[in-house]
Amino acid sequence: MEKYRANLLLCAGTGCVATGTPKVRDALKAELEKQGLADEIKIVLTGCNGFCAEGPVMLVYPEEIFYQKLTVNEIPKLVEEHFLKGRPYEKLMFKDIEKKHAIPLMNDIPFFKLQVLRVLRNKGMIDPESLDEYIARDGYTAAATALNEMTPEEIIKVMKDSGLRGRGGAGFPTGLKWEFASKSQADQKYMLCNGDEGDPGAFMDRSVMEADPHSVIEGMIIGAKTIGASKGVIYVRAEYPLAVERLQKAISVCLDSGLLGENILDSGFNFNLEIYLGAGAFVCGEETALMRSIEGQRGMPRPRPPFPAHKGLWDKPSVLNNVETLAQIAPIILNGADWYRSLGTEKSPGSKVFALTGDIRNVGLVEVPMGIPLKTIIYDIGGGVNKKKKKFKAVQLGGPSGGCIPQELIDIPVTYEDIVKTGAIVGSGGMVVMDEDTCMVSTAKFFLEFTADESCGKCTPCRVGTRVMLDMLTDITEGRGKEGDIETLQDLSKDIIATSLCGLGQTAPNPVLTTIKYFGHEYEAHIKEHWCHAGICSDLCSFHIVDDLCKGCGACMRGCPSNAIVGEKKKPHRIIQELCLQCRSCYDICKFGSIEIRPALETKPEPAVKDEEVTT
Amino acid sequence: MVDDIKILVVDDERVVIRSVEMVLKAEGYDIEGASSGKDAILKMEQNNYNLVLTDLNMPEMDGITLIRWLRQQKPETGIVILTGYPSQETIKEALELGIIDYVPKPFTPAVLLDVTQRAIEWLRKRGVVEEKPTEEFPPSMLDEIDRVIKQYKEIPGSSIPVLQRCQQIVGYLPPHVQKRIAKGLNLSPAHVHSIVSFYSYFTMKPRGDHNIRVCLGTACYVKRIEESLNKLKQELKIDVGDVTEDKKFSIEVVRCLGACGLAPVIVVDEETYGAVTPKKVAEILEEYA
Repeated sequence: MEKYRANLLLCAGTGCVATGTPKVRDALKAELEKQGLADEIKIVLTGCNGFCAEGPVMLVYPEEIFYQKLTVNEIPKLVEEHFLKGRPYEKLMFKDIEKKHAIPLMNDIPFFKLQVLRVLRNKGMIDPESLDEYIARDGYTAAATALNEMTPEEIIKVMKDSGLRGRGGAGFPTGLKWEFASKSQADQKYMLCNGDEGDPGAFMDRSVMEADPHSVIEGMIIGAKTIGASKGVIYVRAEYPLAVERLQKAISVCLDSGLLGENILDSGFNFNLEIYLGAGAFVCGEETALMRSIEGQRGMPRPRPPFPAHKGLWDKPSVLNNVETLAQIAPIILNGADWYRSLGTEKSPGSKVFALTGDIRNVGLVEVPMGIPLKTIIYDIGGGVNKKKKKFKAVQLGGPSGGCIPQELIDIPVTYEDIVKTGAIVGSGGMVVMDEDTCMVSTAKFFLEFTADESCGKCTPCRVGTRVMLDMLTDITEGRGKEGDIETLQDLSKDIIATSLCGLGQTAPNPVLTTIKYFGHEYEAHIKEHWCHAGICSDLCSFHIVDDLCKGCGACMRGCPSNAIVGEKKKPHRIIQELCLQCRSCYDICKFGSIEIRPALETKPEPAVKDEEVTT
Repeated sequence: MVDDIKILVVDDERVVIRSVEMVLKAEGYDIEGASSGKDAILKMEQNNYNLVLTDLNMPEMDGITLIRWLRQQKPETGIVILTGYPSQETIKEALELGIIDYVPKPFTPAVLLDVTQRAIEWLRKRGVVEEKPTEEFPPSMLDEIDRVIKQYKEIPGSSIPVLQRCQQIVGYLPPHVQKRIAKGLNLSPAHVHSIVSFYSYFTMKPRGDHNIRVCLGTACYVKRIEESLNKLKQELKIDVGDVTEDKKFSIEVVRCLGACGLAPVIVVDEETYGAVTPKKVAEILEEYA
């Protein structure tokens, strides 16, 4: 094996590819060749590094210097400075927001410093398509141990002791699930992986499959051995082409190396793994629905019991684990249950990956110990709200099944139990931050649109109930809200939760319930005052310029699509209400905060008057 | 196959019109109903129909009068009679006026379908209805579909992978492709259709040369993707799910593409664009113009 002076770990995750990794790679390659460094410095394309907001990103190994926002134009300078002259290139480094000085080392950047990498242990460190690199980082050692030295009972014991809970959303103990399936008697059992990541705002499974496909396969081999399954299926969304490609390559290289197929690692154990492409139905994240889908049917849930551990895919005992859960199996087997429990809390041990998105400065994937305060994730790792003058309003956790947690509760520790108390759920780990410009009624409506659309239609309360709730929310956001609507929404929610068969219906009202709970005043304002304080519901607001604050810079005037703003330079401007479309552009443009959002005007004067006004 | 066939059903009983609609619409025919002879004439003055299915005993204007009018004014239109009380004489008269066939009431869906198909076949032979090429796709495409079917035929639960592959080959899944797959996999067309209509990956409408997928995930929502979507609709003058007239672009909305770090996101064909704004949308479209 050739030795290199430095390795350039260039992120080739979906985010960075979209922001320019392929071009940067070509430029880097050309520049290194030009400078005669091609034999000394190696470019490695890695999976998602996690710091998507700053892409394309690159880590220089062994120094661990982190470069971000790479562009083709900067490459020659970077190569010259860092690799010829030996001076790390500050211009492309992460900058501390207040002090504005560069932070060269990756692990000094707050975004990385507070993370613990267990699931994401190989992210951005290895070439995801290389089995050798995975093995070099202890890959398949756990599988070898489990296959050759451990009985299923021993594996189950370790898993149960570790307290690992399924990371798909419900948090069911993995060891217990395996134990049930292991005890079922059948001629055929199935080990399944749920890679149908459907929660909007969550992309950790995608990242793991793209950055470290072997970790998922290794987890599946260990699970299969435990329950006695000789066949396995990874169910992946068709919308994740790169993940599919990487998994496919990983499976075929495992087959060639004897890590899958017959007599794996000489243990006498056989396991065949295939990929099944999902076809886009959110409800297929539910285990019975997913199994129906693999059988070639509509993915509709069925009542449990019988549980899949007894009657699952093709009516055979089956275990379905989430991608993130599976990626944690190997380290637990290698390091033991106590090691796993060294992080997290008694009931929620270990670490969890969160997808931090929305109005937040450091967008990306973060892995943190369970029990960490929500505040630490949002402010210390995430860097707070992305716009300087805006205030944090709420964080949405758990996707369409979850809820919004307001500013007042931001100190709570992130564990399964504590989050449930707020009305939200940890779910798959989507964490969408919203600033003060977000209308919570519209946000609830957004999630209901999603669930009403994705309801499979089997249970009437879910199919019709979500639709009725959506209609009511639409009415409220368009000024047709009535007194008593809030109570009706709450009643309907209870009924839908109580009478739906699967998790989709049982959790669909959560976004509405939590927004009513914490932001009830916004609902009231929408209904009674016809006032959307955030100025999002265009029928329920009007925009006005506060004379004292307006500097007369004219920025709003230039940005107004309907020419509704008039005024002389350096004198307060005025919005002609008859022409205003409530598009908010003036509000977003004004640097002085002089645009005020008031309730919708009682009656809008006829546009006929406007001509006179404009000319005067 | 039947996309362009327009049929008018004339009957004073709504239930008859409804049942004919239910049976024939499912096959892709364009069906309209008229509750009397007069109503029918009004409709026919506005539109052209390939085939008229008419009752005989109706108040105001009976079926025979309507048929006479049709023969004079719209000689190209095919006529089929639906009647509960066929008398020798009226049938004879109708036959002399040149009807194609008659269906005695009550009828089963299969009979109605059979008579309709034969009537259209008959019109086609006479060149009244333009014979639309039954296969819009080159034979090589059909061969490919058959190869996929053959490859998966013996594998249980293979309907979804087969449909995915076939959609990649054809671009979309029109009814006759679904039927071909159903036949090949030994499934009922209803079963295949139930899958196609359930999963959002499948489409029964053709897409444009460039398919634009707009992400409606939470992160994109918070970053106001709505504004860019509206701009897109405005620029292309189409709605979500439609194709532009020149067949160049189509817009689709999707639920989270898992690229939340780049929100708001749109994907054109396979290319992902992050941090889009209404302004950027216009620039992106220009790239593909």
